[in-house]
Amino acid sequence: MDWTAIRLLYLSELRAALRERSVLINGILIPLLMYPLMMWVMFSAILFVTARTESFASRVEIAGLPAEHRGLLERLEEEGRIEVTEVDAPSPRTAAAYRAGVEERLLADELDAALIFETTPDGPQGNAAVALMSNGSSDQSQTARGRLERALSTERSDWLDRIAGQHGLEGAEWQVFEVESNNLATGVEMGQFLMGMMIPLFFVIMIANGCLYPAIDSTAGERERNTWETTSTLATRRIHIVAAKYLYVATMGTVAGALNAAAMVVSFRSFLGPLLARLGDGDGSGFAFELPLRSLPILLLTAVLLGALIGAAMMILAAFARTFKEGQSMVTPLYLLVIFPVVVLNDPSLEFTPPLAAIPVVNVVLLLRQAISGNLLWLQLGITLFSNAAAIVGCLWLASRVLRVEEVATGSFEGNLFQFLRQRLKPVGGKA
Amino acid sequence: MSTIQVEVQGLSKNFFDQARGEVNAVSEVDFECRSGEIFGLLGANGAGKTTTLRMISTVLQPSNGTARVLGHDVVREPVEVRRNLGFYSASTALYPRLTARETLTLFARVNKYPAERTKSRVEEMIERFGLGEYAGARIEKLSTGMKQKVSIARTVVHDPPVLIFDEPTVGLDVLNALDLQKGIQELRDEGKTILFSTHIMSEAERLCDRIAIIDKGRIRACDGLEGLRAATSQHYLEDIFVHYVTGNDTPA
Repeated sequence: MDWTAIRLLYLSELRAALRERSVLINGILIPLLMYPLMMWVMFSAILFVTARTESFASRVEIAGLPAEHRGLLERLEEEGRIEVTEVDAPSPRTAAAYRAGVEERLLADELDAALIFETTPDGPQGNAAVALMSNGSSDQSQTARGRLERALSTERSDWLDRIAGQHGLEGAEWQVFEVESNNLATGVEMGQFLMGMMIPLFFVIMIANGCLYPAIDSTAGERERNTWETTSTLATRRIHIVAAKYLYVATMGTVAGALNAAAMVVSFRSFLGPLLARLGDGDGSGFAFELPLRSLPILLLTAVLLGALIGAAMMILAAFARTFKEGQSMVTPLYLLVIFPVVVLNDPSLEFTPPLAAIPVVNVVLLLRQAISGNLLWLQLGITLFSNAAAIVGCLWLASRVLRVEEVATGSFEGNLFQFLRQRLKPVGGKA
Repeated sequence: MSTIQVEVQGLSKNFFDQARGEVNAVSEVDFECRSGEIFGLLGANGAGKTTTLRMISTVLQPSNGTARVLGHDVVREPVEVRRNLGFYSASTALYPRLTARETLTLFARVNKYPAERTKSRVEEMIERFGLGEYAGARIEKLSTGMKQKVSIARTVVHDPPVLIFDEPTVGLDVLNALDLQKGIQELRDEGKTILFSTHIMSEAERLCDRIAIIDKGRIRACDGLEGLRAATSQHYLEDIFVHYVTGNDTPA
């Protein structure tokens, strides 16, 4: 092997690529900046909307508040930003008309929410059925409903405790059917689960994106610019020229994937974590976005494997194109073919079984998901490495057969890979 | 004494064309080029000049026959052939996103010019072709004339003994064309063997030491200008060319 020539050509391809705006945008900037930017925009938008909503004073009407529940008014006062209008309970005769009037005012945005107490003769003093009315199509009304629900729930619980106390019971005793909710996952595990769902999907998309432009540019693009023949007059074997180009395409794909994964982890930690904490009223603070150290080599390995595989496949297809546009139409179906199963199989219940580990691309995604969650299945890892390596070798073998055919190498073959496989796959003598 | 640098024997190239079937682009072409001469391949468009030169430069593989450059066979030793050859044609454009200096360095290194002398050689080429001011600019920013100079510098930067110029003046204005012709003569004077194809009679007449007239893929005549004049009793190369391609003579 002429490693000097391969190195020189590889570096030259990289240098030229990094001066091309499309390569920089698709291969570096989008993978690196898209998610931080997207999450920053989302974070800012949600903060803006939340702040705006929280600043509204909710207009609330309470009808027929029993004396036993006067504490509710204090709670609402504590909640703040609530303007309460208290009215007497409607008589049974006027109850329906009153409700209709409240509905009308809610829909006309004259009122944000209403609480209607109907005392019941049975049970202890203060026992009442409460109707909470709001307009689900209005943000303001929804906010008012939330504020009322919180205050009402606390008031109800305190009242029940008081009644139970009067009968000599502790709260735990009368709450005989109590549901205790426990999430056994740690914040780190929950964060890893979420990252395991999102990172592999975008990882594959970004690697395919990173390979796409270089694969077309280094084959069809060269023909279109008339530089293919210039390159083929260099004093090295053609296979070395192709090897340098292939390494360049695989590098761009790998770099795009690795940058994207790094950017996503940073985005999760810096934007999504605080966002979930804010939205969940503290519940989301349980998420901790930390990548296990041992998943880093796997992440890098999967980026290399995917970059090498997708790059090789794209280059074979693009080798038949004579113009960049032709190259795009030949490679785009592969791009979709790679992404489609990843999107379809992005199901958290999908187990990484040995048969699935034999399917290239899909196995890489599942392996990555496992690695992010901190679990490594060694058998599946072995099968994944073997199947992807076999697929890469297969692609490179096909590429060497294809490029030995003079019409393809010189760009005079009219057709695509499939037409070529049907018509022309036969050995041609001599080494060029 | 001049030695044979390029030797072509029975060189043929057949293509398969879906519309026309089997096409004989070049048929049993024979000629030799010696050191320090400009050997012209004169023919109309589609006569087989470019195909012949592309086979010698190993871009295409011959269907039959052999071609050797400094004794290296174009099929069996393509890398050695390319190492001893500089190939310039309209279809060998430059990489638009590299600078002139980067292009020259790449071609010198990959074509096995000694690494320790590459830098000085590149600077020598930049000086010789007047590229100094533009050596750091990307090729895509250069004018046609400057690109052509970089192309020639790229062709000769690894100091090959044999140079092939396939219709190099096509698309150039008169001044640039004359400049190029002058450059080719200088290279010949340095002892390079030059294969030069053209369909412009005046160019061949002015530059070539020997001329092969090619028509329909076959060499019709091959000699110095005086020899061709004597053989056809015509003075002007244009008339000599017409004499051969209109079938007044058997193939050489």
